Parts: sequence; C-alpha cells; structure tokens
Amino acid sequence: MELLNLAVKAIFVENIVLSFFLGMCSFLALSKKVETATGLGIAVVFVLTMTTPLNWLIHHFLLQDGALAWTGVASLARLDLSFLNFICFIAVIASAVQLVEMTLDRFFPALYNALGIFLPLITVNCSILGGSLFMVEREYNLSEATVFGFSAGFGFFLAIVSLSAIRKKLRYSNIPPGLKGLGITFIMTGLMSIGFLCFSGISL
Amino acid sequence: MAKTRDILLDPLSDNNPIAIQVLGICSALAVTVKMETAMVMALALTTVVTFSNLIISVMRKAIPAKIRMIVEMAVIASLVIVADQFLQAYMFEVSRQLSVFVGLIITNCIVMGRAEAFALQNPPGPSFLDGLGNGLGYSAILLIVASIREILGSGTWFGHDVFAFMPESFHYMGNGLALLAPGAFIIIGLIIWAHRTIVGKFETD
Amino acid sequence: MQKDDLRIVGFAAVVCIVCSLVLSATASMLKQRQAENVELDRKINVLKAFGVAVVGEDGKKISKDRVDQYFSENISEIYIAKDSGEVVEGMTLAKLPKEELKAKTAVEKTMLPLYLWKEDGKVRKYAFPISGMGLWSILNGYLALDSDLSTIVGLTFYKHAETPGLGGECSSDWFQNQFKGKKVFEDGKLLQFEVAKGSAEIKYPGGSDHAVDGISGATMTGNGINRFLNRDLQYYEKYFSRIRG
Repeated sequence: MELLNLAVKAIFVENIVLSFFLGMCSFLALSKKVETATGLGIAVVFVLTMTTPLNWLIHHFLLQDGALAWTGVASLARLDLSFLNFICFIAVIASAVQLVEMTLDRFFPALYNALGIFLPLITVNCSILGGSLFMVEREYNLSEATVFGFSAGFGFFLAIVSLSAIRKKLRYSNIPPGLKGLGITFIMTGLMSIGFLCFSGISL
Repeated sequence: MAKTRDILLDPLSDNNPIAIQVLGICSALAVTVKMETAMVMALALTTVVTFSNLIISVMRKAIPAKIRMIVEMAVIASLVIVADQFLQAYMFEVSRQLSVFVGLIITNCIVMGRAEAFALQNPPGPSFLDGLGNGLGYSAILLIVASIREILGSGTWFGHDVFAFMPESFHYMGNGLALLAPGAFIIIGLIIWAHRTIVGKFETD
Repeated sequence: MQKDDLRIVGFAAVVCIVCSLVLSATASMLKQRQAENVELDRKINVLKAFGVAVVGEDGKKISKDRVDQYFSENISEIYIAKDSGEVVEGMTLAKLPKEELKAKTAVEKTMLPLYLWKEDGKVRKYAFPISGMGLWSILNGYLALDSDLSTIVGLTFYKHAETPGLGGECSSDWFQNQFKGKKVFEDGKLLQFEVAKGSAEIKYPGGSDHAVDGISGATMTGNGINRFLNRDLQYYEKYFSRIRG
C-alpha cells in the first residue's frame, strides 16, 4: 500500500517533468512527434527503473557514511564517501545506458532499432540523475527506490506522450510568430502542469 | 578584438542559451521561486561552465577521441561536487533549499553543450569567455524569472517587501500560482515570446 | 594491446587520479565547517522552539557565538529512556549509538533527547523533537513546554516536503504561533491536542485551549500532525509524570 501510494505520488502528484522540471531539454526537443516521444518515454522508464536501485546499492554499500562497515575493516567503516555521490551516479548511469544499448543491439535488434537513437541522449537527461538524487535525499529503501524509479519514468512517459499529441494539433493553429515553437510549448506545458495540480492531495 | 567581445556578449541575448538554444531549462525553472536561490544557482552554474570550458579546452589536444564524453563528464562532475561542497560549507541554508538541483548541474545541457561545441575546438582564452558568457546568459534569464515569480508570488524581492508602501488594508496578497510549477512554465514561455519578438528570431515548423 | 589503447587507458587513469585527489582534498577540507553548519542549524531550531528570536529586527540571523552562549548558559540536553521515562545518565549526542541517529521518528528510537532551559538554576522550559508523517513526507520539528509541563511555549517545523502553499504552510509563522499558550495537560491527564479541520471555532465554539485552526486544503497534513504530536507527547509524559511529583 505504501509503495502504491509512492507510485501514485511519483506519477501524478509530483510528476518529475511537470512539477520538478527534470528532463525538460529532451522533453521539449523530442516531443514534436508522437512516435519519437513514445520511444524516448519507454527508454526513460527502462533506464530509470534500472539505475535508481543500482545507485541505491552503490550509495548504501559503498558511499554512505559508515557504508563500508560490512567489510569488517575498522578504518574503512569510518569513511564517509557521500561527496562522491554525483560522480558515481553519473558514471553508473552512463555505463548502464551503454550496457543496455549493447545488450539490445545483440539480443533484441527490433527493440534496439526503435530505441537505439534515444539511449545515448538519456545519459544527459536530468530526470535520470534526478531520480537517483531524490532517492538519496528522501532516504528511500531498496523497494521504494525501485518503485520510485519506475513511477518517475512512467510519469515522464505520460507527460511527453501527451505533450507530443497536443503539439501535433498545435501545428494547425494560428500562433503569433514569436510564440511559435518553444514559447507556445512552454505555455502548453504550464497548462498541463495546472491539470496535474488537481491530483495533489490524493493519497491511498 | 571585436571577436572576443562577441564571444562574451553574444550568449547574453542574441544567442541566449535558454531562450534561443533551448538548453539547460530544467534547473532554471526549479530554483526560481526566490531571488536568493536563483542567484546562488546562477553563480554556481556560471562558475562550473566557465571552468569546465577552460579545463577541457586546455586538455583538448590530449583527450583521446574515444573517451571524450566520459572525460568531459568527469571534469564537469568534479567541478560540480567542489561547488556543492563549498555551498554546503559556506551557504548552508541556501544549499539545503537548492537540494538536488546543484547536483543536476552535471546534466545541465549548457555545460556539456558548450564543452562539446566550443571548448573542444578553441584555445583556452576564448573558451573561458564563452563559458562566462553562456553562464551569464543563463543567469540573466534565471534572475528575470525569479524576480517575476518572487514579486508576483510573495510580494517580495530578495526577501524585502516591495509593496510596503501600500496602506495596510490594501496590501498585496501573493499569487500562489506563480510559486507553483505552472507559473514558472507560463512565465518562461512569455519571456521567450517577448525576447524572440524583440530579437527577431523565429522558429518555423 | 595497441599503443593507442594504452594511451587511452593511461589518460583515463590520470584523469581519475587527479579528479579524486581534488575531490577528496576539498571534501576533507570543508568537512569540519559543514558539520558545524548542521550542528548550528539544529541548535537554532531548538532556540526557535524556546521562543528566542533567531532573526533580529534588522533581519539578521543570530550569530553563532550567541547561539553557543545560549547553549552553554541556559540550555542543557539530556536523554531519557523511552520505555521507562528515566534519565539516561551521562548520555550525549556524541555518544549516541548510530542506530539512534538514523531513526527518523520517536517510534524507532529507544532514547529521546530533551532540552532543558534553565534560569537561576531552575528549569523554566522544556523542548523536545517531534516528528512523523504528514501527507507526503516526514515533518520534523520541536515543541517547547513551559515549566508547568502543560502550556506550549513554542512549536516549530523546520524540515518537511509537504505541498507548497497547502501543507507546506505548517512551517509558516501564522500556523506555528497559534500553538503558543495552548495546553496539552489538564486535570491530571494528557489532552488530545487537535489541529482542527478548517477553523477550530466550528468544532469548539468560543475557542478551545487544546485546538488550533487547521490549514485549509491541507487536512491530511493536519491529521498527521495530530497523530504524531499526541504520540510523542505520550512518550515524554512518562518522564514528565515523574518530575511532576
């Protein structure tokens, strides 16, 4: 129940794009077509679900204050390496993305062809790193971290697919020249974000 | 000489990283509820982008092409960690409000984008200026958005009551929407509209 | 291996070593200061609950020296055993076991901190941490009681992640100031303290000394506060009932 609550919260109430503004760059750049948006969305869900628990393990067993106590070496047990969080997380994300790319290429060529071009972009998508950082900041446990990773990714998927659908329609409207493209997309995102505000206060 | 000036000043308006190049918006929105946080964030990002450009430009001939990206990433991440450590030590309050967004400078497209697009091809001097210029361009938008949001949302600027001159019974009530996410999106959309109309750069579909 | 590959590995190694050296140096250099900041922040929050003005008229924050002065002259910190309510002799923050420090709420703790405000050798006020789930997040705060062990001197929430503008209002002055002067203990027993839904006037016409107005739109946050405030009060009551005599 707790986990379900967390999932609802991460998908709707605290949508990673619409209320934390993470992953905006690719959100705006790749939402022109529904197909590309879907591809990117799925790739984000995939990578977030994988890297958040992975980074949780790294944070808890290597970096956190006193995390190295399991080695049984007294001098290691006192170490606090949490200042290395950022650099380790980004390294894990970059290598995980690379691994996924190679595995897909080797075993699931069809999926690779669909997602391939989006995977490298994901390394520098703020939402992936953001997911890991939020997981540390909010002190989730392993199962919470996994659920959070998946739901945050799904929230991103939902937001980008709906935005791309709206943008498709926007092409037929008469928009002032200065507002065309980025400007109107921002305002649309703002309106979507207002829509998502109505979820606030929901809890199971 | 004119060229050096262009490198510094161009990103401020004509080629603004946020408004024209559409880079690094993530954090720009999240920290602009208050001037104080926006100011610190702008400072942190400007420092990081300036020095990452400088360092990468110095190393540009030595970096093996195959591991180019990962080396850039390592340099940027280290700079961000240093910045974050300093914030925690000297500006504790603000650093807690910024929470994860300092760390997210790593994935800020401006830093990576400028390293790839400029620092790898140019000598250290111009790269330094390019980084500074882009950092300032980002800061400019950040501060404008933050001013609007703080004044509309809380009726204050840097924590000072800007409507203090009004009679007590007629005092400004903060508009909560400006503090929430949608306010940020819409304000930045309008700023981009105004900026593009003035500069005269339009997108065609 | 080809010569080119060797160069790549070498370059990567050099970058790694330089980066890690720089990072470790900065981190260990600044660690002391960061720890001091965290400590100062905790002390300031305690002072706030005790009703000390931590932000002066000129908008300036209280200085570190002043905070330390309060803590050396007026405030002492003791730990009480949660089960029995007895004082744990000789326990300090530095000696506290790691599991205790990790515990997020009083439920998981076995020893509870209590801050005593002394003037002229007598305890005038008591403050202790309160924490628990609101709607989304764990709220952390301090509650201070007068020496009658019933009247609230101050309440402050310093850390939470509730919805800004709704539940987030729990850290605003208007909400926290309402608690001042309310009672938690009457006629020999603890009262159920209540953050009402909406205005407290509706449920208790004429006002109540153990209920405050809720935040409109944030009933769940209010319910959360009710739950953990009353729970934590019960834990401390074990100690208070001993000294009440």
